[in-house]
Amino acid sequence: MIESVHFRNFKVLRDATLPLGQFTLIVGPNGSGKSTALQGLRALSQPDAWQFKDVASVDLIAKNVANVDLIAGEEAEVEIQCKIDSYVLKVHWERNSNGRIDDEEEGTMVDGFRKRLREKLRDVSVYSLDARAMCSPVQILPQVKLQPDGSNLAGVLDQLQSEEPERFEALNLAFGRFIPEFDRILLEASVPGSKTLLLRTREGKHKIPARDISQGTLLALGMLTIAYLPNPPSVVCFEEPDRGIHPRLLRDVQDALYRLSHPESDGEMREPVQVVATTHSPYLLDLYRDHPEEIVIAHKIGQETRFERLSEQPDLDDILRDSHLGEVWYTGILGGVPIQP
Amino acid sequence: MKVAIFSESPENEAAIRILVDALLGQPTEVAHLHLSKLVTRGWPGVRGSLSDVLTKLHNRREADALVVVVDTDDSPVHQVEHEQPGSLDLECRLCYLRDVIRRTQAHLKPRAGMGPIKTAVGVAVTAIEAWYLCGIDPHATEAAWIQGLRSKRPPYSRDDLKKAVYGSARPSRLIEAQRATEAANRLAQDLSSLESNFPIGFGALADAVRSW
Repeated sequence: MIESVHFRNFKVLRDATLPLGQFTLIVGPNGSGKSTALQGLRALSQPDAWQFKDVASVDLIAKNVANVDLIAGEEAEVEIQCKIDSYVLKVHWERNSNGRIDDEEEGTMVDGFRKRLREKLRDVSVYSLDARAMCSPVQILPQVKLQPDGSNLAGVLDQLQSEEPERFEALNLAFGRFIPEFDRILLEASVPGSKTLLLRTREGKHKIPARDISQGTLLALGMLTIAYLPNPPSVVCFEEPDRGIHPRLLRDVQDALYRLSHPESDGEMREPVQVVATTHSPYLLDLYRDHPEEIVIAHKIGQETRFERLSEQPDLDDILRDSHLGEVWYTGILGGVPIQP
Repeated sequence: MKVAIFSESPENEAAIRILVDALLGQPTEVAHLHLSKLVTRGWPGVRGSLSDVLTKLHNRREADALVVVVDTDDSPVHQVEHEQPGSLDLECRLCYLRDVIRRTQAHLKPRAGMGPIKTAVGVAVTAIEAWYLCGIDPHATEAAWIQGLRSKRPPYSRDDLKKAVYGSARPSRLIEAQRATEAANRLAQDLSSLESNFPIGFGALADAVRSW
């Protein structure tokens, strides 16, 4: 498990340490570095694939560069502290250079650990699901993977149906509990060699093409699909998994996330996945009242960001005794809210 | 008899109904709750919404009775002395909920042809999962919890109880509902063990329901 990630000069994260657990939910105001932290994790998966002309303001997906003046010689750094033997792995991006991994051993190096760590980092997936991308027909190829925006959903579901029919049936049931309007995920061959996603209504048994399905329903299906994969990535990050989903359904969002990070919570047998998610929803936050160690507050102080585990706030028990966590956070008492000008 | 069940989670309400039916010796009909807030329940949700729930059930004439069950968590456990005049302890959740019900009903207009809604409050010491473990784990009792509080060494945590009942401290909605219902069906066969191991919190519920 990745225990923490330290960022230096990485966009808004000038000098910040993000503590992580098996499951971590980050809350904070816009621009506080929540998404940047996920970008950093994604960059770690393939550091040599990224080159930054300006390391203080990088766009890891489009490789666009913003004009931010840097002090000569300054470099960006993302450092990961891993659990085993306090092993530290650092990745640097110097101006106009690809990322570079520096290994630093603290404690006894376990044979093969470095390789396993690199493999784990290569297996980081950051999802920011987009309903439009998710409803596109998919050409059927072996070992199709869900893309960060949810593209290939029909292909992944088709693969699950043919290779893991029991899981596919379980996913159908879970989806039916989540969105009771529908009772079946259907995959039809629109043109030879490709599959199109449809959902069948519980009443009337009408087949609705994915393009006509609501955004929230598709996002819910995408998230559940990841939770029901037999071999999900070892680190899964979600940008606002509650987006488009009614507050009353957020318990199902929590269940899907916990199914990944704590498989036993839903009777699942596979290895746990480390999950990092972000949210602005006080209602989603409410659901973590019993596990404040899983919440990280992003405090934006001027141009700096500081991450703090909610459980480290000393008077938390007194504050939450009779109150909803989400409401308390919304008041600003816990921090992690926009600052009034 | 139409009975509404209001607890910290909808997953537990089917299980509580099984226990209420066993106490009454007959099945009850479901009276739906009319919740004004979309927030998660837990203790803050029950505490904040109970008055609204009771008012709406009363005005819509849809329920004969309301059962409320909450966890005590780390709050003070109810004592007989609290029931003496002037000794109400609002830190005690049983006292608090009874007081909310009393104050709410005092302001409700009488329902023509119907009496006031019958009510029953139960408090699970320290969490409802302790009830579900009754007959399985001899250490999960009110006495063990109270002794633990006195010695400042609680015998178990809420996570411990959840793991014992659900196999996880973070059970999914489905597993929570399934295991709760299984446990309630088992307990309904013999309520005496629940009443003897949880005389304060379950005892209060049982006495109130049987008095209807």
